[in-house]
Amino acid sequence: MIDTSEIRKNLKLLIDGQPWVVVDFQFVKPGKGQAFTRTRMKNLITGNVIERNYRSGEKFEEAHVEEKSMVFLYAQGGTYTFMDNQTYEQAEMSEEHLGDAAHFLSDNMSVEVIYFNGEPITVEVPNFVEHQIVETEPAVRGDTVSGATKPAKLATGYVINVPLFINAGDWVVVDTRTGAYVERVKK
Amino acid sequence: MRKSSSSPNDHEQFIATIKARHTIISATRSFFDRRGYLEVHTPARVLCPGIEPYVDALPAGPGYYLATSPELHMKRLLAKGAQRIYQIAHAFRADELGPLHSPEFLMLEWYCPGIDYLGIMLETEELLAALAGCPGSQGHDWLRFPLPRMKVDDLFLKIAGWKPSVAWDEDRYFSDWVEKVDPFLSRQQALFLVDFPAALASLAKLKDADSLLCERFELFLCGVEIANAFSELTDYDAHCARLTAANQRRAQMCKEAYPVDEGFMAAVRSGIPECAGIALGLDRLIMVLLGCRHIEQVQLFNTV
Repeated sequence: MIDTSEIRKNLKLLIDGQPWVVVDFQFVKPGKGQAFTRTRMKNLITGNVIERNYRSGEKFEEAHVEEKSMVFLYAQGGTYTFMDNQTYEQAEMSEEHLGDAAHFLSDNMSVEVIYFNGEPITVEVPNFVEHQIVETEPAVRGDTVSGATKPAKLATGYVINVPLFINAGDWVVVDTRTGAYVERVKK
Repeated sequence: MRKSSSSPNDHEQFIATIKARHTIISATRSFFDRRGYLEVHTPARVLCPGIEPYVDALPAGPGYYLATSPELHMKRLLAKGAQRIYQIAHAFRADELGPLHSPEFLMLEWYCPGIDYLGIMLETEELLAALAGCPGSQGHDWLRFPLPRMKVDDLFLKIAGWKPSVAWDEDRYFSDWVEKVDPFLSRQQALFLVDFPAALASLAKLKDADSLLCERFELFLCGVEIANAFSELTDYDAHCARLTAANQRRAQMCKEAYPVDEGFMAAVRSGIPECAGIALGLDRLIMVLLGCRHIEQVQLFNTV
Protein backbone atom coordinates (compact mmCIF):
# COMPACT_ATOMS: atom_id res chain seq x y z
CA MET A 1 0.00 0.00 0.00
CA ILE A 2 1.10 3.53 -0.66
CA ASP A 3 -0.30 6.75 0.74
CA THR A 4 -1.11 10.24 -0.52
CA SER A 5 2.38 11.55 0.21
CA GLU A 6 3.76 9.15 -2.41
CA ILE A 7 1.48 10.33 -5.22
CA ARG A 8 3.58 11.30 -8.25
CA LYS A 9 2.97 11.85 -11.93
CA ASN A 10 2.80 8.56 -13.84
CA LEU A 11 2.14 6.55 -10.67
CA LYS A 12 -0.25 3.71 -11.54
CA LEU A 13 -3.02 3.15 -9.00
CA LEU A 14 -5.59 0.41 -8.62
CA ILE A 15 -8.99 1.91 -7.82
CA ASP A 16 -12.17 -0.18 -7.84
CA GLY A 17 -10.28 -2.87 -9.73
CA GLN A 18 -9.30 -0.50 -12.53
CA PRO A 19 -5.80 0.73 -13.36
CA TRP A 20 -5.37 4.51 -13.31
CA VAL A 21 -2.34 6.66 -14.05
CA VAL A 22 -1.73 9.94 -12.22
CA VAL A 23 -1.66 12.74 -14.80
CA ASP A 24 -1.25 15.59 -12.35
CA PHE A 25 -1.52 16.22 -8.63
CA GLN A 26 -1.45 19.14 -6.23
CA PHE A 27 -1.18 19.54 -2.48
CA VAL A 28 -4.18 21.53 -1.20
CA LYS A 29 -4.49 22.64 2.39
CA PRO A 30 -6.44 25.44 4.00
CA GLY A 31 -4.21 27.10 6.62
CA LYS A 32 -5.42 25.37 9.74
CA GLY A 33 -7.36 22.61 8.04
CA GLN A 34 -7.18 19.12 6.65
CA ALA A 35 -4.77 18.51 3.79
CA PHE A 36 -5.75 16.89 0.50
CA THR A 37 -4.02 15.77 -2.64
CA ARG A 38 -6.00 16.90 -5.67
CA THR A 39 -5.33 14.19 -8.20
CA ARG A 40 -6.09 14.05 -11.94
CA MET A 41 -6.05 10.49 -13.14
CA LYS A 42 -6.56 8.73 -16.45
CA ASN A 43 -8.17 5.32 -16.62
CA LEU A 44 -5.69 3.18 -18.52
CA ILE A 45 -8.45 1.06 -20.05
CA THR A 46 -11.12 3.60 -20.96
CA GLY A 47 -8.97 6.73 -21.23
CA ASN A 48 -11.45 8.59 -18.99
CA VAL A 49 -9.87 11.41 -17.02
CA ILE A 50 -11.24 12.24 -13.57
CA GLU A 51 -10.26 14.50 -10.71
CA ARG A 52 -10.44 13.22 -7.15
CA ASN A 53 -9.36 14.74 -3.87
CA TYR A 54 -7.79 12.42 -1.36
CA ARG A 55 -7.35 13.26 2.32
CA SER A 56 -3.75 13.11 3.46
CA GLY A 57 -2.95 9.68 4.76
CA GLU A 58 -5.44 7.80 2.56
CA LYS A 59 -3.97 4.57 1.25
CA PHE A 60 -3.90 3.09 -2.23
CA GLU A 61 -3.00 -0.10 -3.91
CA GLU A 62 -0.50 0.24 -6.70
CA ALA A 63 -1.65 -1.13 -10.06
CA HIS A 64 0.82 -3.67 -11.36
CA VAL A 65 1.22 -2.39 -14.81
CA GLU A 66 3.98 -3.43 -17.16
CA GLU A 67 5.21 -1.49 -20.18
CA LYS A 68 6.81 -3.16 -23.19
CA SER A 69 8.43 -1.38 -26.13
CA MET A 70 6.88 -2.68 -29.34
CA VAL A 71 6.32 -1.61 -32.91
CA PHE A 72 3.00 -1.31 -34.69
CA LEU A 73 2.65 -4.02 -37.35
CA TYR A 74 -0.80 -3.70 -38.92
CA ALA A 75 -4.52 -3.22 -38.37
CA GLN A 76 -7.08 -5.61 -39.71
CA GLY A 77 -10.81 -5.74 -39.08
CA GLY A 78 -10.56 -3.36 -36.10
CA THR A 79 -7.77 -5.38 -34.48
CA TYR A 80 -4.38 -3.76 -34.05
CA THR A 81 -1.25 -5.89 -33.86
CA PHE A 82 2.03 -4.91 -32.21
CA MET A 83 5.30 -6.82 -31.91
CA ASP A 84 8.30 -6.86 -29.63
CA ASN A 85 11.23 -6.71 -32.06
CA GLN A 86 13.51 -8.55 -29.63
CA THR A 87 11.30 -11.48 -28.60
CA TYR A 88 8.82 -11.44 -31.55
CA GLU A 89 6.07 -11.56 -28.94
CA GLN A 90 2.89 -10.07 -30.36
CA ALA A 91 0.05 -8.13 -28.73
CA GLU A 92 -3.40 -7.57 -30.20
CA MET A 93 -5.85 -4.92 -29.19
CA SER A 94 -9.17 -3.55 -30.37
CA GLU A 95 -9.64 0.02 -31.54
CA GLU A 96 -11.70 0.62 -28.40
CA HIS A 97 -8.72 -0.19 -26.21
CA LEU A 98 -6.40 2.06 -28.15
CA GLY A 99 -8.65 5.12 -27.92
CA ASP A 100 -7.09 8.21 -29.50
CA ALA A 101 -3.77 6.44 -29.99
CA ALA A 102 -5.33 4.61 -32.96
CA HIS A 103 -5.50 7.91 -34.87
CA PHE A 104 -1.74 8.34 -34.78
CA LEU A 105 -0.32 4.91 -35.51
CA SER A 106 1.78 4.27 -38.59
CA ASP A 107 3.66 1.19 -39.78
CA ASN A 108 6.67 0.32 -37.63
CA MET A 109 6.00 3.15 -35.17
CA SER A 110 7.60 2.48 -31.75
CA VAL A 111 5.05 2.51 -28.96
CA GLU A 112 4.79 1.40 -25.35
CA VAL A 113 2.26 -1.38 -24.90
CA ILE A 114 0.72 -1.33 -21.42
CA TYR A 115 -0.07 -4.68 -19.79
CA PHE A 116 -2.38 -5.02 -16.79
CA ASN A 117 -2.81 -8.44 -15.16
CA GLY A 118 -0.90 -9.93 -18.08
CA GLU A 119 -3.25 -8.52 -20.73
CA PRO A 120 -2.35 -5.71 -23.13
CA ILE A 121 -4.79 -2.89 -22.36
CA THR A 122 -3.56 0.13 -24.26
CA VAL A 123 -0.59 1.73 -25.97
CA GLU A 124 1.24 4.98 -25.43
CA VAL A 125 2.30 6.67 -28.64
CA PRO A 126 5.13 9.24 -28.75
CA ASN A 127 4.04 12.82 -28.01
CA PHE A 128 5.10 13.94 -31.48
CA VAL A 129 4.65 11.81 -34.59
CA GLU A 130 5.14 12.41 -38.32
CA HIS A 131 2.30 11.75 -40.71
CA GLN A 132 1.61 12.28 -44.38
CA ILE A 133 -1.45 14.29 -45.37
CA VAL A 134 -3.51 12.16 -47.75
CA GLU A 135 -6.30 14.58 -48.46
CA THR A 136 -6.86 18.35 -48.11
CA GLU A 137 -8.12 21.29 -50.15
CA PRO A 138 -5.37 22.71 -52.35
CA ALA A 139 -3.52 25.74 -51.02
CA VAL A 140 -5.25 28.96 -52.00
CA ARG A 141 -2.97 31.62 -53.47
CA GLY A 142 -3.22 35.04 -51.96
CA ASP A 143 -5.11 33.89 -48.90
CA THR A 144 -2.88 35.27 -46.21
CA VAL A 145 -5.19 35.52 -43.21
CA SER A 146 -2.81 34.66 -40.46
CA GLY A 147 -3.76 31.68 -38.31
CA ALA A 148 -6.38 30.45 -40.80
CA THR A 149 -6.63 26.65 -41.00
CA LYS A 150 -8.37 23.96 -43.02
CA PRO A 151 -9.12 20.28 -42.39
CA ALA A 152 -6.63 17.66 -43.60
CA LYS A 153 -6.86 13.87 -43.45
CA LEU A 154 -4.09 11.53 -42.27
CA ALA A 155 -3.61 7.99 -43.63
CA THR A 156 -5.40 6.68 -40.51
CA GLY A 157 -8.48 8.62 -41.53
CA TYR A 158 -8.07 11.09 -38.67
CA VAL A 159 -8.69 14.73 -39.57
CA ILE A 160 -6.54 17.52 -38.14
CA ASN A 161 -6.50 21.28 -38.76
CA VAL A 162 -3.52 22.54 -40.73
CA PRO A 163 -2.39 25.93 -42.07
CA LEU A 164 -3.57 26.82 -45.57
CA PHE A 165 -0.15 26.25 -47.20
CA ILE A 166 -0.19 22.48 -46.49
CA ASN A 167 -0.89 20.25 -49.51
CA ALA A 168 -1.83 16.60 -49.92
CA GLY A 169 1.39 14.58 -49.87
CA ASP A 170 3.13 16.89 -47.35
CA TRP A 171 4.52 15.43 -44.13
CA VAL A 172 3.60 17.11 -40.85
CA VAL A 173 4.34 16.69 -37.16
CA VAL A 174 1.27 16.12 -34.97
CA ASP A 175 1.05 16.42 -31.17
CA THR A 176 -0.70 13.20 -30.16
CA ARG A 177 -1.81 14.61 -26.79
CA THR A 178 -3.93 17.31 -28.40
CA GLY A 179 -4.26 16.18 -32.02
CA ALA A 180 -2.82 19.56 -33.03
CA TYR A 181 -0.65 20.29 -36.08
CA VAL A 182 2.88 21.33 -35.01
CA GLU A 183 4.93 21.91 -38.19
CA ARG A 184 5.63 20.80 -41.75
CA VAL A 185 8.63 18.52 -42.31
CA LYS A 186 10.65 17.97 -45.46
CA LYS A 187 10.90 14.35 -46.54
CA MET B 1 21.20 27.92 -5.51
CA ARG B 2 17.87 26.81 -6.82
CA LYS B 3 18.13 28.42 -10.20
CA SER B 4 21.11 26.98 -11.96
CA SER B 5 21.43 30.08 -14.16
CA SER B 6 21.58 27.99 -17.30
CA SER B 7 20.88 30.97 -19.53
CA PRO B 8 21.53 34.70 -19.15
CA ASN B 9 17.77 35.16 -19.09
CA ASP B 10 17.32 32.84 -16.08
CA HIS B 11 20.13 34.64 -14.35
CA GLU B 12 18.52 38.06 -14.88
CA GLN B 13 15.21 36.67 -13.66
CA PHE B 14 16.85 35.32 -10.53
CA ILE B 15 18.53 38.64 -9.73
CA ALA B 16 15.23 40.42 -10.38
CA THR B 17 13.56 38.10 -7.86
CA ILE B 18 16.18 38.90 -5.21
CA LYS B 19 15.61 42.62 -5.81
CA ALA B 20 11.81 42.33 -5.75
CA ARG B 21 11.91 40.42 -2.46
CA HIS B 22 14.20 43.06 -0.99
CA THR B 23 11.95 45.90 -2.12
CA ILE B 24 8.78 44.35 -0.75
CA ILE B 25 10.36 43.33 2.55
CA SER B 26 11.97 46.71 3.14
CA ALA B 27 8.68 48.45 2.27
CA THR B 28 7.01 46.19 4.83
CA ARG B 29 9.51 47.23 7.49
CA SER B 30 9.05 50.92 6.77
CA PHE B 31 5.27 50.50 6.84
CA PHE B 32 5.42 49.14 10.39
CA ASP B 33 8.15 51.57 11.40
CA ARG B 34 5.97 54.54 10.38
CA ARG B 35 3.16 53.16 12.55
CA GLY B 36 5.26 52.82 15.67
CA TYR B 37 5.61 49.04 15.58
CA LEU B 38 8.71 47.44 17.05
CA GLU B 39 10.33 44.58 15.18
CA VAL B 40 10.94 41.61 17.48
CA HIS B 41 12.61 38.24 17.18
CA THR B 42 11.40 35.13 18.95
CA PRO B 43 13.00 31.66 19.10
CA ALA B 44 12.98 29.52 15.96
CA ARG B 45 13.69 26.38 18.02
CA VAL B 46 11.02 25.85 20.66
CA LEU B 47 9.91 23.33 23.30
CA CYS B 48 6.23 23.79 22.56
CA PRO B 49 4.97 24.44 19.08
CA GLY B 50 1.42 25.76 18.91
CA ILE B 51 -1.24 23.07 19.31
CA GLU B 52 -3.41 22.77 16.21
CA PRO B 53 -5.07 19.61 14.89
CA TYR B 54 -3.72 20.12 11.39
CA VAL B 55 -0.41 21.88 11.87
CA ASP B 56 2.53 19.55 12.45
CA ALA B 57 5.93 20.66 13.68
CA LEU B 58 9.32 19.47 12.51
CA PRO B 59 11.41 17.96 15.32
CA ALA B 60 14.66 19.80 16.10
CA GLY B 61 16.58 17.61 18.51
CA PRO B 62 15.28 15.82 21.63
CA GLY B 63 12.34 17.73 23.09
CA TYR B 64 12.58 20.58 20.59
CA TYR B 65 10.69 21.63 17.50
CA LEU B 66 11.10 24.25 14.81
CA ALA B 67 8.49 26.97 15.37
CA THR B 68 5.38 26.57 13.23
CA SER B 69 4.54 30.20 14.01
CA PRO B 70 5.86 32.92 16.33
CA GLU B 71 2.39 33.42 17.84
CA LEU B 72 2.88 32.17 21.40
CA HIS B 73 6.16 33.96 22.00
CA MET B 74 4.87 37.21 20.55
CA LYS B 75 1.87 37.06 22.87
CA ARG B 76 4.27 36.56 25.78
CA LEU B 77 5.89 39.86 24.79
CA LEU B 78 2.46 41.53 24.77
CA ALA B 79 1.80 40.20 28.27
CA LYS B 80 5.12 41.72 29.37
CA GLY B 81 3.94 45.13 28.21
CA ALA B 82 5.13 45.35 24.61
CA GLN B 83 2.69 47.40 22.56
CA ARG B 84 2.63 47.18 18.77
CA ILE B 85 5.01 44.46 17.62
CA TYR B 86 5.78 42.73 14.34
CA GLN B 87 8.12 40.03 13.16
CA ILE B 88 9.28 38.52 9.90
CA ALA B 89 9.88 34.98 11.12
CA HIS B 90 11.02 31.75 9.53
CA ALA B 91 8.21 29.26 10.11
CA PHE B 92 8.40 25.52 9.57
CA ARG B 93 5.68 22.95 8.93
CA ALA B 94 6.00 19.23 8.40
CA ASP B 95 4.56 17.53 5.33
CA GLU B 96 3.54 20.68 3.49
CA LEU B 97 4.84 20.81 -0.03
CA GLY B 98 3.23 22.06 -3.23
CA PRO B 99 2.76 25.11 -5.43
CA LEU B 100 1.58 27.10 -2.39
CA HIS B 101 3.46 25.25 0.34
CA SER B 102 7.05 24.99 1.39
CA PRO B 103 8.16 23.37 4.67
CA GLU B 104 10.08 26.57 5.48
CA PHE B 105 8.62 29.98 4.73
CA LEU B 106 8.59 33.57 5.90
CA MET B 107 5.73 34.59 8.11
CA LEU B 108 4.95 38.23 8.72
CA GLU B 109 3.12 38.40 12.02
CA TRP B 110 1.93 41.46 13.85
CA TYR B 111 -0.13 42.36 16.92
CA CYS B 112 -1.90 45.56 17.76
CA PRO B 113 -3.42 46.17 21.23
CA GLY B 114 -6.70 48.06 21.40
CA ILE B 115 -8.19 46.93 18.08
CA ASP B 116 -10.16 43.88 16.96
CA TYR B 117 -10.03 41.73 13.81
CA LEU B 118 -11.91 44.33 11.77
CA GLY B 119 -9.39 46.96 12.83
CA ILE B 120 -6.46 44.82 11.76
CA MET B 121 -8.29 44.11 8.49
CA LEU B 122 -8.13 47.83 7.67
CA GLU B 123 -4.44 47.88 8.53
CA THR B 124 -3.90 44.86 6.27
CA GLU B 125 -5.52 46.75 3.40
CA GLU B 126 -3.23 49.70 4.06
CA LEU B 127 -0.19 47.40 4.00
CA LEU B 128 -1.34 45.87 0.70
CA ALA B 129 -1.84 49.32 -0.77
CA ALA B 130 1.70 50.25 0.27
CA LEU B 131 3.25 47.06 -1.14
CA ALA B 132 1.28 46.87 -4.37
CA GLY B 133 3.08 50.00 -5.53
CA CYS B 134 6.54 48.45 -5.12
CA PRO B 135 8.64 48.28 -8.26
CA GLY B 136 8.59 44.73 -9.60
CA SER B 137 4.92 44.35 -8.72
CA GLN B 138 2.77 43.70 -11.75
CA GLY B 139 0.15 46.49 -11.88
CA HIS B 140 -2.54 45.99 -9.30
CA ASP B 141 -5.67 47.64 -10.62
CA TRP B 142 -7.51 44.63 -9.26
CA LEU B 143 -6.72 45.65 -5.70
CA ARG B 144 -9.63 48.06 -5.18
CA PHE B 145 -10.11 49.06 -1.58
CA PRO B 146 -12.05 48.24 0.46
CA LEU B 147 -11.61 44.64 -0.68
CA PRO B 148 -14.81 42.57 -0.80
CA ARG B 149 -15.74 40.68 2.37
CA MET B 150 -17.77 37.52 2.64
CA LYS B 151 -18.91 35.51 5.65
CA VAL B 152 -17.88 31.86 5.75
CA ASP B 153 -21.52 30.80 6.32
CA ASP B 154 -22.74 32.85 3.34
CA LEU B 155 -20.05 31.44 1.08
CA PHE B 156 -20.81 27.84 2.04
CA LEU B 157 -24.56 28.44 1.73
CA LYS B 158 -24.06 29.87 -1.74
CA ILE B 159 -21.80 27.18 -3.16
CA ALA B 160 -22.24 24.13 -0.93
CA GLY B 161 -25.80 24.56 0.33
CA TRP B 162 -25.23 24.56 4.09
CA LYS B 163 -24.13 26.76 6.98
CA PRO B 164 -21.14 25.22 8.75
CA SER B 165 -21.53 27.23 11.95
CA VAL B 166 -25.01 25.88 12.72
CA ALA B 167 -24.46 22.26 11.66
CA TRP B 168 -20.76 21.74 12.23
CA ASP B 169 -19.29 18.74 10.42
CA GLU B 170 -15.53 18.91 10.14
CA ASP B 171 -15.02 16.31 7.40
CA ARG B 172 -17.84 17.75 5.30
CA TYR B 173 -16.46 21.27 5.80
CA PHE B 174 -12.99 20.41 4.53
CA SER B 175 -14.11 18.18 1.67
CA ASP B 176 -16.48 20.93 0.50
CA TRP B 177 -13.59 23.33 0.94
CA VAL B 178 -11.33 21.43 -1.41
CA GLU B 179 -14.10 20.43 -3.88
CA LYS B 180 -16.07 23.66 -4.05
CA VAL B 181 -14.74 26.58 -2.00
CA ASP B 182 -11.13 26.44 -3.17
CA PRO B 183 -12.13 26.41 -6.89
CA PHE B 184 -14.52 29.32 -6.19
CA LEU B 185 -11.80 31.30 -4.41
CA SER B 186 -9.38 30.70 -7.26
CA ARG B 187 -11.71 32.75 -9.48
CA GLN B 188 -11.78 35.74 -7.06
CA GLN B 189 -9.18 38.45 -7.30
CA ALA B 190 -9.29 39.54 -3.68
CA LEU B 191 -11.52 38.56 -0.81
CA PHE B 192 -11.68 38.68 2.96
CA LEU B 193 -13.41 35.60 4.28
CA VAL B 194 -14.80 36.54 7.71
CA ASP B 195 -16.51 35.03 10.76
CA PHE B 196 -15.42 31.41 10.87
CA PRO B 197 -17.37 28.69 12.69
CA ALA B 198 -16.53 28.51 16.41
CA ALA B 199 -15.04 25.05 15.87
CA LEU B 200 -12.29 26.72 13.81
CA ALA B 201 -11.60 29.47 16.33
CA SER B 202 -8.09 28.26 17.20
CA LEU B 203 -7.06 31.14 19.51
CA ALA B 204 -9.63 33.64 18.26
CA LYS B 205 -12.30 35.23 20.45
CA LEU B 206 -15.84 34.05 19.92
CA LYS B 207 -18.30 36.70 18.80
CA ASP B 208 -20.15 37.93 21.87
CA ALA B 209 -23.51 38.00 20.22
CA ASP B 210 -23.29 34.63 18.52
CA SER B 211 -21.04 32.04 20.04
CA LEU B 212 -21.35 29.81 16.95
CA LEU B 213 -18.91 32.17 15.24
CA CYS B 214 -15.46 33.49 16.02
CA GLU B 215 -13.75 36.76 15.19
CA ARG B 216 -11.39 35.41 12.57
CA PHE B 217 -10.74 36.35 8.96
CA GLU B 218 -8.59 35.10 6.15
CA LEU B 219 -7.36 37.10 3.18
CA PHE B 220 -7.30 35.54 -0.29
CA LEU B 221 -5.56 37.13 -3.26
CA CYS B 222 -5.81 35.45 -6.68
CA GLY B 223 -7.24 32.41 -4.89
CA VAL B 224 -4.18 32.11 -2.66
CA GLU B 225 -4.66 32.17 1.10
CA ILE B 226 -2.43 35.03 2.21
CA ALA B 227 -3.25 35.84 5.83
CA ASN B 228 -5.17 34.71 8.88
CA ALA B 229 -6.25 37.07 11.66
CA PHE B 230 -8.01 36.94 15.00
CA SER B 231 -9.41 39.14 17.67
CA GLU B 232 -7.11 37.39 20.10
CA LEU B 233 -8.45 35.18 22.84
CA THR B 234 -7.41 36.52 26.27
CA ASP B 235 -9.38 34.40 28.74
CA TYR B 236 -7.28 31.85 30.67
CA ASP B 237 -9.91 29.11 31.04
CA ALA B 238 -10.85 29.38 27.39
CA HIS B 239 -7.18 28.87 26.48
CA CYS B 240 -7.00 25.72 28.61
CA ALA B 241 -10.16 24.36 26.98
CA ARG B 242 -9.02 25.12 23.41
CA LEU B 243 -5.54 23.63 23.82
CA THR B 244 -6.91 20.50 25.49
CA ALA B 245 -9.47 20.06 22.71
CA ALA B 246 -6.79 20.52 20.04
CA ASN B 247 -4.58 17.86 21.63
CA GLN B 248 -7.56 15.50 21.97
CA ARG B 249 -8.31 15.96 18.29
CA ARG B 250 -4.66 15.16 17.52
CA ALA B 251 -4.86 12.03 19.65
CA GLN B 252 -7.98 10.87 17.76
CA MET B 253 -5.95 11.07 14.56
CA CYS B 254 -3.06 9.18 16.20
CA LYS B 255 -0.89 12.29 16.01
CA GLU B 256 1.66 13.27 18.61
CA ALA B 257 0.23 15.48 21.37
CA TYR B 258 2.28 18.63 21.91
CA PRO B 259 3.20 19.92 25.35
CA VAL B 260 1.33 22.97 26.58
CA ASP B 261 3.64 25.98 26.68
CA GLU B 262 3.75 26.87 30.39
CA GLY B 263 5.52 30.15 29.70
CA PHE B 264 2.68 31.11 27.39
CA MET B 265 0.01 30.00 29.88
CA ALA B 266 1.69 32.07 32.59
CA ALA B 267 1.57 35.04 30.22
CA VAL B 268 -2.15 34.46 29.61
CA ARG B 269 -2.73 34.27 33.36
CA SER B 270 -0.86 37.52 33.94
CA GLY B 271 -2.94 39.14 31.19
CA ILE B 272 -2.61 39.49 27.44
CA PRO B 273 -4.05 42.88 26.43
CA GLU B 274 -7.15 42.98 24.26
CA CYS B 275 -5.65 42.96 20.80
CA ALA B 276 -5.82 41.71 17.24
CA GLY B 277 -3.12 39.66 15.57
CA ILE B 278 -2.44 38.43 12.08
CA ALA B 279 -0.10 36.02 10.33
CA LEU B 280 0.67 36.69 6.68
CA GLY B 281 2.57 34.34 4.38
CA LEU B 282 5.19 36.67 3.00
CA ASP B 283 6.49 34.35 0.26
CA ARG B 284 2.93 33.89 -0.97
CA LEU B 285 2.25 37.62 -0.95
CA ILE B 286 5.47 38.23 -2.91
CA MET B 287 4.39 35.49 -5.30
CA VAL B 288 1.03 37.10 -5.95
CA LEU B 289 2.49 40.61 -6.26
CA LEU B 290 5.03 39.37 -8.82
CA GLY B 291 2.39 37.44 -10.74
CA CYS B 292 4.00 34.04 -10.00
CA ARG B 293 2.05 30.80 -9.68
CA HIS B 294 4.46 28.66 -7.67
CA ILE B 295 6.14 29.49 -4.35
CA GLU B 296 9.38 28.04 -5.75
CA GLN B 297 9.51 30.96 -8.17
CA VAL B 298 10.02 33.46 -5.34
CA GLN B 299 11.99 31.47 -2.78
CA LEU B 300 15.70 31.75 -3.48
CA PHE B 301 16.62 28.26 -2.30
CA ASN B 302 15.08 24.87 -2.46
CA THR B 303 15.10 23.67 1.15
CA VAL B 304 13.48 20.30 0.56
